[in-house]
Amino acid sequence: MLLQLATRNIWRNKRRTLITIAAVAFAVFLASVMRSFQKGAWDNVINNSVNLFFGYAQVHKDGYWDEQVLDNAMEWESSFDDIPDQIAGIKAVIPRIESFALASSADLTQGVMVIGVDPDKEDDLTNISQKISQGNFLTPNDDGAVIAEGIAKKLKLNVGDTLVLISQGYHGANAAGKFPIKGFFKFPLPDLNKTLVYISLSQAQDFYAANNMISSLVMHIDDARDVNNATAGLSKLLDKSKYEIMDYEALMPELIQARQMDEGGGVLIIGILYALITFAIFGTILMMTKERSYEFGVLTAIGMSRWKLFGVTFLESVMVGLLGVALGLILAIPLVYYWHVYPINLSFMGEQATAAFENFGMEPVIPTAFTSSVFMWQAGLIFFITTLLSLYPLYNIIKLEPVKAMRN
Amino acid sequence: MMSKFIIIVGVLISYASLAFAQTPTAKEIISKSEENIRGKYSQGEIKMTIVRPDWTRDIQMKSWSTGDEYSLILVTGPARDKGTAFLKREKEMWNWQPKIDRVIKMPPSMMSQSWMGSDFTNDDLARANSRVEDFVQSVEGAEVIEGRDCWILQLIPKDEAGVVWGKIKIWVDKKEYVQMKSEFFDEDDYLVNTMLAKQIGTLGGRTLPRSLEVIPADEEGHKTIVEYLSLNFDKPIKNSFYSQQNMKRVR
Repeated sequence: MLLQLATRNIWRNKRRTLITIAAVAFAVFLASVMRSFQKGAWDNVINNSVNLFFGYAQVHKDGYWDEQVLDNAMEWESSFDDIPDQIAGIKAVIPRIESFALASSADLTQGVMVIGVDPDKEDDLTNISQKISQGNFLTPNDDGAVIAEGIAKKLKLNVGDTLVLISQGYHGANAAGKFPIKGFFKFPLPDLNKTLVYISLSQAQDFYAANNMISSLVMHIDDARDVNNATAGLSKLLDKSKYEIMDYEALMPELIQARQMDEGGGVLIIGILYALITFAIFGTILMMTKERSYEFGVLTAIGMSRWKLFGVTFLESVMVGLLGVALGLILAIPLVYYWHVYPINLSFMGEQATAAFENFGMEPVIPTAFTSSVFMWQAGLIFFITTLLSLYPLYNIIKLEPVKAMRN
Repeated sequence: MMSKFIIIVGVLISYASLAFAQTPTAKEIISKSEENIRGKYSQGEIKMTIVRPDWTRDIQMKSWSTGDEYSLILVTGPARDKGTAFLKREKEMWNWQPKIDRVIKMPPSMMSQSWMGSDFTNDDLARANSRVEDFVQSVEGAEVIEGRDCWILQLIPKDEAGVVWGKIKIWVDKKEYVQMKSEFFDEDDYLVNTMLAKQIGTLGGRTLPRSLEVIPADEEGHKTIVEYLSLNFDKPIKNSFYSQQNMKRVR
């Protein structure tokens, strides 16, 4: 019965109700869309950056990350090959061995970072063969090297020339070798573009006297949502005292922190939005309460329990809130979904914008994230605010003096 | 009368000189000791073992030297290092790397770096500084090491000498002038390395340690052991032997 009364009361004052619904809907709509864009854009950035090099998760010998020296490398176990079959979400495991070396051509010398890789698996993850600017990428067990453009420039090397590498190997052994240059690559990040040298894993192990050793095992995971599952699975599978398992948040903390900082700004804006909506809704409820004081007075006078009366007004506000939220969601969800499937393409902004994106290895698009959590959070929050504000009339009703109210 | 006097004085002087002869100067001690080690020419086969807490590595080599000035070391094993050679002429040192076909000249700054991952420095092998000429020596005391009575000598480098150490203390056996123990300190008087002579015996006709151990002061469980498998002091070596060309050819 209270519900019936509440319903009728709402629609008695159509204009006020509709305006309030519109305000709430607008807030929910704006917050949902904004948050979806923000999340989508960042998910895209992370997705592109993570698999550029580090991958979503890595396994090393315990203690390697803190002291990244060759002597902290680990033995390759054949059981590693079974990991993709045992853990869902992990497409492949990619072995790498990395260390420092001095590279030289004729009279010029430069410090470089040497990475021994399995060419096919590596390319599957990082798409490095797409970044080759001259020559070719490595074939399996290739005896050559693929170097960054910056190194080629500094050492004045061409494809086909010989790269001389000298370094200290595993357990202090001497490491010296010659590698024919098979190709150049270009990386968007200038640091990597000046220092990286790729050689095949077997060549690197030989060069560094690190037989059957690897520095890191990179997990090829395509979907960020599979990461937690994957790391949990790895923890169960591997001896924790021997190995350390790190996910991309530990491997690339600066990226995560940059995202948090940026999203912090977004939260601030949504906060302001909510504040505005709160005042709008409160204004409505306030006006409603004052306006109907005569009605409340009469009802109280003829014997309606004050609590029942409060119940009616409470239900009214809650319903308005609900309707507003529903409307907002009905408008937001399809739009976000559309942009999720057909992301806004920024190439219309011109060549420079497109180039800026591609420099980071990303397509010039802004996708949206389509997850229920975004909608539920926004709707839930606004609904909570509305409900809270609906408690205001309670005070008024309790203190009501029917005669005075009727006289006003 | 006069003749008696002369005889007495003569005897006294001879006794006195005998007495002086009993206590050689620090420089003489080191001189004699170094000569014992070096000889005019020496060639030999050496095995070096690098000991670490988690692993051990062996290097086999042949060495040739003429006095203090020239030396050539050829690495004969393990297989991956075979053919690597080190040449020293006076104060300069070169390294031949057959795998990359390069002769690398080793700058003075590299002299205090480890030789092939061992606890010996490049300087130790180059022996670029003469213990006799480049230091000021003094006798600081005596101590018994491995049953041998030794002088404790302190060697402070002369300013112009360009020595990597701040101070060296050497225990030299009084009877056979074997350097039983050496302690190497840096410029801040901090002990960096200790070198111990072991298995004193006859090598190439001289009394020499058959094995030397270098123990770094700061690292637990680190040690390098050098064993002389054979040593020959008699074969003369032409100075032309010590050349960059020969470094690449020698077997």
